[in-house]
Amino acid sequence: MIKVVDLKKNYGRVEALKSISFEVEKGSVFGFIGRNGAGKTTTMNILTGLIKFNDGKIIIKGKDFQENKQEVLKSIGYLPETPTFYDYMNAYEYLRFIGEIISYEGKNVSKLLEMVKLAKHKKKRIGAYSRGMKQRLALAAAFMGNPEILFLDEPASALDPEGRMEMLELIEGLKNEKITIFLSTHILNDAERVCNKICIIDEGKILLTENLSQLYKSYIQPIFDVEFEEDPTDKIDLLKKPEWVENIKENGRKISIYVKDLDYAKKEILKELSKLNTSVVSYQIRKSTLEDIFMRMVKQK
Amino acid sequence: MKSFKAYFKKEITEAIRTYKYLVLFFGFIFWPAMLGPMMLKLLPLILKNYMPAETMQLFSDFTRDYAFQSFLSDSFQFMLAFMAFVLMGLLANEVRLKRLVFPYSRGADPEGVVLAKYIHYAITVSLFILIAFFIDYLYVDRFFTGGILSLKILFESSLLYILYFCTLLSILLYLSSLFRRGLAAGFTVLILGFSLSIFNQFDTIKAYFPNYLILKAADIGHVFDSSLIPAIIISFCLIILFVFLSVLRMKKIDVA
Ligand SMILES: Nc1ncnc2c1ncn2[C@@H]1O[C@H](COP(=O)(O)OP(=O)(O)O)[C@@H](O)[C@H]1O
Ligand SMILES: [Mg+2]
Repeated sequence: MIKVVDLKKNYGRVEALKSISFEVEKGSVFGFIGRNGAGKTTTMNILTGLIKFNDGKIIIKGKDFQENKQEVLKSIGYLPETPTFYDYMNAYEYLRFIGEIISYEGKNVSKLLEMVKLAKHKKKRIGAYSRGMKQRLALAAAFMGNPEILFLDEPASALDPEGRMEMLELIEGLKNEKITIFLSTHILNDAERVCNKICIIDEGKILLTENLSQLYKSYIQPIFDVEFEEDPTDKIDLLKKPEWVENIKENGRKISIYVKDLDYAKKEILKELSKLNTSVVSYQIRKSTLEDIFMRMVKQK
Repeated sequence: MKSFKAYFKKEITEAIRTYKYLVLFFGFIFWPAMLGPMMLKLLPLILKNYMPAETMQLFSDFTRDYAFQSFLSDSFQFMLAFMAFVLMGLLANEVRLKRLVFPYSRGADPEGVVLAKYIHYAITVSLFILIAFFIDYLYVDRFFTGGILSLKILFESSLLYILYFCTLLSILLYLSSLFRRGLAAGFTVLILGFSLSIFNQFDTIKAYFPNYLILKAADIGHVFDSSLIPAIIISFCLIILFVFLSVLRMKKIDVA
């Protein structure tokens, strides 16, 4: 759906994007993750045709973006980081205004306002809206006319917890509409919740692009956390025998077993535990959160 | 065409809600065309008791023609200043305040945006000038006598003003797309408008500058003559040039 090859962008001397490449598949929710200043907004502004870039190639829907900008933009919606409107208009008027540009039927505007829960406030000046209301209006403006690709730049970051939940629910709702969503965020929980592919950007470079499930698999740590009903200290030595066990850390009734070969250990560990002849309360492979992975990636550099 | 329509309507809404029409009414109509003639009429009455009789004699020479010329020079200054400062943010504000992010990301075409803005304010300015001229005529005709001023002369004269201000509007539009701050565009146009009048001193070249239109507008009796042709052609060319340059600029500019 979107293919970016060696994209470069400089602001004067600042290299905001240092030759980034990635691909976004049709119908996926692509999580674009990075710290503040990583280059997320810059990338999205380029992909929505708002700013120029220095070098590289962008292909959207199989077409060269630079040569078919106006046409490609017809199937794109963008929710910018800090949306701005004509403050003297009300929500209804603003959506009618955008609707006129993209030939969107005026009578559907009310439905759209309903969807983002602004129907009650549609006659109020946008200038008097709260941050959350503006954000929802922006989502309506971006989503108007069912674009095939939706760019969302930190849609929930500036909102209070309640607003953030509402926004995520709205996005999850869109996910079912089979549109491609390009979502940037620095809140990893949000990305974990809605995305199926993750791309980590840092200091203008892409560190990794991977499916979320694949990512968990490849970043899973070879550790088993086991909890016993009673302190197992006297029986631990038994567990240290097999040659696939590397180390064991004890912590009261809980132990962590570090193994050499995860797949092999998965098959053997229950057998070993049963030999101890004691009650096991829980047992699990330690999962990395996206946060762990992100921190490791960013630190590694 | 869709962007043109959307922006044309938007400009009307904006001009109403941000009081642009109202401020332009004061600058284009109220002060020069209504207050101006009244002051001219009242001035001798107010000064009567303070001035020697010989000086007062001067005021009795006020004919309709003189009153109209006085209106022309007032209105030139008022209209130029008000147009420059009310409309200086025409494109600069859209870019600086990132108002174009949504429209541009949804595929709005810059031609439509720029043309809508230019045509809307060209019509506004033209209408305001026409109204100002006719209101001034009503006052002048009522308060003063003598002279050869007629509706025909008034109409011809207003057309020259319209062409002149539409030319400056196109320059203002372009400068507003060029500068980040509208104020820079406003001042530049203001200075340009006044300083170009200097060329009216040079008989050999004056006919080639837009400000010649202003000079001829006050030439009661022969407002329209063939000496206007170069200035008219040049003004139209400037309008096309600057509107075209504005479109190019708005196509290339970073709006986020
Ligand atoms: N208009 C600009 N002028 C100069 N530098 C900029 C501009 N916009 C962004 N930058 C710089 O580019 C880098 C990337 O910024 P940005 O894309 O906004 O990051 P993010 O959205 O990931 O927080 C930062 O170092 C930022 O300071
Ligand atoms: Mg950002």
